[in-house]
Amino acid sequence: MDDILFTGRDTDVCLRLPEPVDKGTLRRLVGEAQDRLAEAGLRAGGAAALRLPPSLAYVAHLLATWRTGAQAVLLDHRLTDHEVDQALRRLGPQVVVAPVRSGGGALRIFVDVTAGVSAYSDRPAGSPHAVIQLSSGSTGPSKVIGRTAADLVAEVHRYTRIDGVALPGERIILLPSMVHVLGLVGGLLYGLHAGVELCPPERLSGDAILAAVAAQDTPATVLGVPFHIGMLASTTPAGPLPQLRRMTTGGELVPAAVANAFTDRYGVPLGNMYGMTEVGVIGTDLYGRHRPAITPAPGIEVRERDGELWVSCPANPYVGPADPTRWADGWLHTRDAGVVDPDTGLVTVKGRLDSQVSVGGLKVDLTEVEATVAGLPGVTAAVVVWDDGITAYVQADGSLTEETLDKLIAERLAGFKRPRTLRLLDQMPRTTTGKLVRSVPALRDAAS
Amino acid sequence: MSGQPDLGRADLVSMLAELTASPADQVPDRLGSMELAWLVHMVEQRYDTRLDLSDDQLAGVRTVDDALAVFRGSLTAPADG
Repeated sequence: MDDILFTGRDTDVCLRLPEPVDKGTLRRLVGEAQDRLAEAGLRAGGAAALRLPPSLAYVAHLLATWRTGAQAVLLDHRLTDHEVDQALRRLGPQVVVAPVRSGGGALRIFVDVTAGVSAYSDRPAGSPHAVIQLSSGSTGPSKVIGRTAADLVAEVHRYTRIDGVALPGERIILLPSMVHVLGLVGGLLYGLHAGVELCPPERLSGDAILAAVAAQDTPATVLGVPFHIGMLASTTPAGPLPQLRRMTTGGELVPAAVANAFTDRYGVPLGNMYGMTEVGVIGTDLYGRHRPAITPAPGIEVRERDGELWVSCPANPYVGPADPTRWADGWLHTRDAGVVDPDTGLVTVKGRLDSQVSVGGLKVDLTEVEATVAGLPGVTAAVVVWDDGITAYVQADGSLTEETLDKLIAERLAGFKRPRTLRLLDQMPRTTTGKLVRSVPALRDAAS
Repeated sequence: MSGQPDLGRADLVSMLAELTASPADQVPDRLGSMELAWLVHMVEQRYDTRLDLSDDQLAGVRTVDDALAVFRGSLTAPADG
């Protein structure tokens, strides 16, 4: 790991929070974190669950876990206790790292956290992966996705071969969470490897993002998701921003109107990336020349099979037995509808073939939301659909109120997975054979 | 800043409609952290000011009406100094 991520001199700045953190300081923090993890019982071949918001503590404990020769289980800090307990029972890490104190959380991109390490089990890690991430599952519980150290290193090297990424000595204005693949590999790991400074804005607002760009003289790439494009497109810059080189986003398709509003305002390329937790970056269009199509990243092959995109992925990325409908024979079945141009190789993603939706760049499977709502006490039936946002139609027995229902859901589902609209119905619409109706217009009618 | 701000519920609903590119009458009343961040940002742009909101204030916002009350309070609070 040191050869890949701890390159460069001790005096090289790797993070600006906004105080500069140099590699020497980071090495020291990682060493201290390694000691704490070892004291709590983490051993080579074990696993550490990190339940931390993006923070220096997260970076230090992640790298310390890997330096120990252990597996890092990344738990989004927005997950509820219920979701985390389920994950911990399933994965049995040796230690859990969580905040004992955290300052200024709301609207923060990077949080000031003091981490505590507690022992959890004495089992070895359940798989040889370096990192485990959870993805909202189509069968109820989350999918457990693993990536090996070699796979992560290969993705970091892939970034170095993509034209249009931030170069050594430049900066990334980092907006996505480093717990998820874009911020983790495209931001943190690539930045440490290539000598690119990572600069999260002081808070999540258009003015703060532009202030982060203007804070240094070196060229800056803003890395985010489409939500952040809208934020910048609606921000009036105080003056010229010669440092701004590009904005690059991943996560979901960007509406043309939003893309045009951004480029009109800033006059720099708006790049697009396509990736998945299972494989990392799959393709890019960092100059915005082929929108919405992307060019496969170096070393990645993309095929179209019966309207679905398949991506080369040598090993089964799922922990446990492979599901042949998701991965088989070195190919990941993305469940993204799409086409591959036979002449140019350009890939166009057309949307999902299943019930997964994107909320601010975070993937949410509506099946997980529906299974959770339907399993609540007092709920007799539930249908969850996407109707300009996650919308739940619920038939309850007795006197379940919307407020109680909302509270019960909040105990079980992270905020980004929760329905924005709840509709309590006396009777759910059903087909003549008794099946729940899923058509959005029919559900709207039943609720009106 | 002082005096009563001209910020109404319809303004917030229209900002949310812009975020989701949906008609204003289909904007959900419930807010997640992303919608709340968007509203703070848009209100700051509109008034060319920074809203100083505590974590507790933001954590208490569940609906558009909650957000309106918090924003109006912040916009009418006397500036420091």
